[in-house]
Amino acid sequence: MNLIERAKELDQKFKIFNSIAEKVETGDGELGGIAVSVKDNICVKGMESRAGSKILEGYIPPFDATVVARCRAEGAFIIGKTSQDEFGFGTFNVNTPYSVPLNPHDTERSAGGSSGGGAVLTAVADFPHVAIAESTGGSISCPASWCGVVGITPTYGRTSRWGLIDYANSLDKIGCMGKTVREAAMLLSVISGHDRYDSTVLREPVPDFTSYIDEPIEGMKIGVPHEYFGEGVDEEVSETVRKTLDCLEQEGAKILEVSLPFTKYSLSSYYIIAMAEASTNLAKLCGMRYGLQPELEGNFDEYFSKVRGEGFGDEAKRRIILGTYARLAGYRDEYYLKALKVRTKVIEDFKKAFKEIDVLAAPTMPVVAPRFDEVEEMEPIQHYMMDILTVAPNLAGIPMISVPCGEVEGLPVGLHLMGDHLSEGKIIQAASRVGVR
Amino acid sequence: MEATIGLEIHVHLLTESKLFCRCSTRTDDKEPNENTCPICMGYPGSKPMVNKRAIEHGVVISEALNCEVLPEVVFSRKNYFYPDMPKNFQITQYEIPLGMKGFVELGEKKVGIRRVHIEEDPAKLIHVGGDITSSRYNLIDHNRAGMPLVEIVTEPDIEDTKEAREFLEKLSLMLDHLGVYDPSGEGSIRVDANVSVEGGQRVEVKNITGFRNVEKALNYEVVRQRSMARMGLDVGRETRHFEAESETTVSLRKKETEEDYGYIIEPDLVKIRITSDWLERLRDKMPELPDQRVQRFIEEYGISRLQSRIIVHSGLDLSNFYEKTSLLYNDPQIVANWVVTYLLKSLNYEGLSLKESKVEPSTFVELLELIDEGVISERLAKELIKDYTVTGKSPRKIVEEKQLGIMPVDELNDIVEDVMSDNPQAAQDYLYGTEKAVDYLIGQVLRRVRARAKPNVVRKFIMEKLDSIEKLPR
Repeated sequence: MNLIERAKELDQKFKIFNSIAEKVETGDGELGGIAVSVKDNICVKGMESRAGSKILEGYIPPFDATVVARCRAEGAFIIGKTSQDEFGFGTFNVNTPYSVPLNPHDTERSAGGSSGGGAVLTAVADFPHVAIAESTGGSISCPASWCGVVGITPTYGRTSRWGLIDYANSLDKIGCMGKTVREAAMLLSVISGHDRYDSTVLREPVPDFTSYIDEPIEGMKIGVPHEYFGEGVDEEVSETVRKTLDCLEQEGAKILEVSLPFTKYSLSSYYIIAMAEASTNLAKLCGMRYGLQPELEGNFDEYFSKVRGEGFGDEAKRRIILGTYARLAGYRDEYYLKALKVRTKVIEDFKKAFKEIDVLAAPTMPVVAPRFDEVEEMEPIQHYMMDILTVAPNLAGIPMISVPCGEVEGLPVGLHLMGDHLSEGKIIQAASRVGVR
Repeated sequence: MEATIGLEIHVHLLTESKLFCRCSTRTDDKEPNENTCPICMGYPGSKPMVNKRAIEHGVVISEALNCEVLPEVVFSRKNYFYPDMPKNFQITQYEIPLGMKGFVELGEKKVGIRRVHIEEDPAKLIHVGGDITSSRYNLIDHNRAGMPLVEIVTEPDIEDTKEAREFLEKLSLMLDHLGVYDPSGEGSIRVDANVSVEGGQRVEVKNITGFRNVEKALNYEVVRQRSMARMGLDVGRETRHFEAESETTVSLRKKETEEDYGYIIEPDLVKIRITSDWLERLRDKMPELPDQRVQRFIEEYGISRLQSRIIVHSGLDLSNFYEKTSLLYNDPQIVANWVVTYLLKSLNYEGLSLKESKVEPSTFVELLELIDEGVISERLAKELIKDYTVTGKSPRKIVEEKQLGIMPVDELNDIVEDVMSDNPQAAQDYLYGTEKAVDYLIGQVLRRVRARAKPNVVRKFIMEKLDSIEKLPR
């Protein structure tokens, strides 16, 4: 059975893909013979790229995202576009008219979002495979933790966003998922680095991230922020994470209590900034040029209102409205500008902590994967509250890795390791020692 | 004071590529929508890349307008939905411009420059079967989308329509000198004018191309607003559009409040520092501005202020032409005389710009040399210049081919004799005291020699012959 047939089989069972490649194309290089799946919001030349949204139905980009081109150059086989919440708007991968991925550990539960499809494929693929995914507020860490795989979100600016269909430009980061830390780290080395097509990419040299794997962590200082273990976090999840930290202590790491006081403001700050930027990014989607393009009739206002009314899901509309509101003249100071100031404070929290410690550790998500029927009952605000542990590091643009560290009632728990800007090496090092004992 | 006028001038910058992508800025030979790429089409996944040359042009313009240049270049998103904007936002500079608080000297007064900034041009809308208010449908050509524009905003210091036109002419001449735009390009400069009269509301007239149209639009608006005030009607705050055929302004939409564009800083671009080194380098390379050139021509070439201003204000091409010609011919005053009095008149008459005509300094100088050498008369040169302006043909060649040189003496002699034998009465009239008879004879000769002889030379011949004619009895 060839890769494409196997992909289709898995897709039938777990609802992973929005598009599957038509033929196997691979070459020589670091990724020779390896299948790379790409989150639907990252452009693949010639392959429909809808970012999980109906409004981009039929959009076939005439160019590859830089990260995709780099994989191709290393011989990768681009196997398909994986399902996601529309434009990244969601934590359960249910906000999409297309496939809703099923958690492989219990198919009545969410796989997490927004990079749900990528995480599921990473968990179930029985051929060499790594996933290119994307995080704005936690969309790599969350599904990685709920599906029991490794997800790396690098420093903001480590990877090029050329070809990424924007959610929030100052928050979006392209990252990697793999069954093991080694696979995810290897992919990260391939796709990272300077790109003149994206002005926000850093010029820092890219090390071989796999070289940090299994380096001893004796003396490494691991900070545990008490705001991340208290109320709102499931007790059993906290317990599982603490047990893992005990193991790391036995490897010689020092576990220290720290505090990140601005944590409680990070969720609001994140959502205001993310929605404000998203509302301008999504303005271009108005039919006429690509994607959903009903017959041109009426005047422009009538036409685009119709297209956007039909093409956007409810969550997208909600965020566009809230994001626009936050930018309007009467509210801009109070919401958007205030949120930017809070963001600076959140960054300061982390910078201060990293003066004393090497990495931070916490549970990735406050709960294990919820059931779909539980998700249906949730109010939008409860959806947003799920992100409480991932938004702060995403706001600050620091690198993070979610690595499986145990189970609660048969469902995976993720340990979140976060490092200072550009210290992917340290978090990979620490992550590689999890589960060793 | 007739009115209170402020202008917003959008200038197409002369760069190789568009402002945020590598597409060419030359589109004359392209089909609609052919000169595009994912970036200027705003395709999902694309991101802008800044064209540094465009920023340099913006900084140089700010300097020339006596602005304070700000140390960082920051871009903003101006959000609104319109079919000529592929992203439904425009990348511009809102919070922080390139330059501010400058001025332009116009005679005795200074017109304040509030700000200078750069932004991308939207696509071009083609109204089919009418204009913006009456077309059946509209087509969108994205060739222009993403072109670099500089926006120059004046303080409302302009007080009448003539001043507005003078300001625009001076501004465009300065920009021409800076080499930052192509004055012959269609739509290189677009103007939005804000007008209010006698303390009434401010009306905006958008997108006027051509300075004459600006003057016409303003004249119409001032009259319209004055009449309304006189009739006790309120001039509402609104946006209007100038209709070229009827030379009137037409209402587009009522503006009760400022449009809310929900600005954010462009998150896909980083701040660009204008270092003092960079600024110094740009200042060093700054070309000569019109006022400086006028002064220099007076001092270097000894011509009058009036002539210098005419030459410089006729455009960079022409003043460069004057300078080159003065280097080839050793009397700049004579060159100035001929350029100002005859060349400009000729170009005007033929409806040609200097560039369109085939006139060159080397051939122009031939005209002057031919006069100096005595080969042609000044009068002939003034006639020749008309042909020369259109054809650019070497005057020496023209003279040779058409045998227009000053007539050889014996040939002239024969013609004079012919004329005098054809008109014996004239000679007798002169001898009997009618001085004017000589003029009549000169006229007859000149008619036949057609400027190949100088009138005073002809007079000499005739007088000599008259000396030897006998007075006959009456």
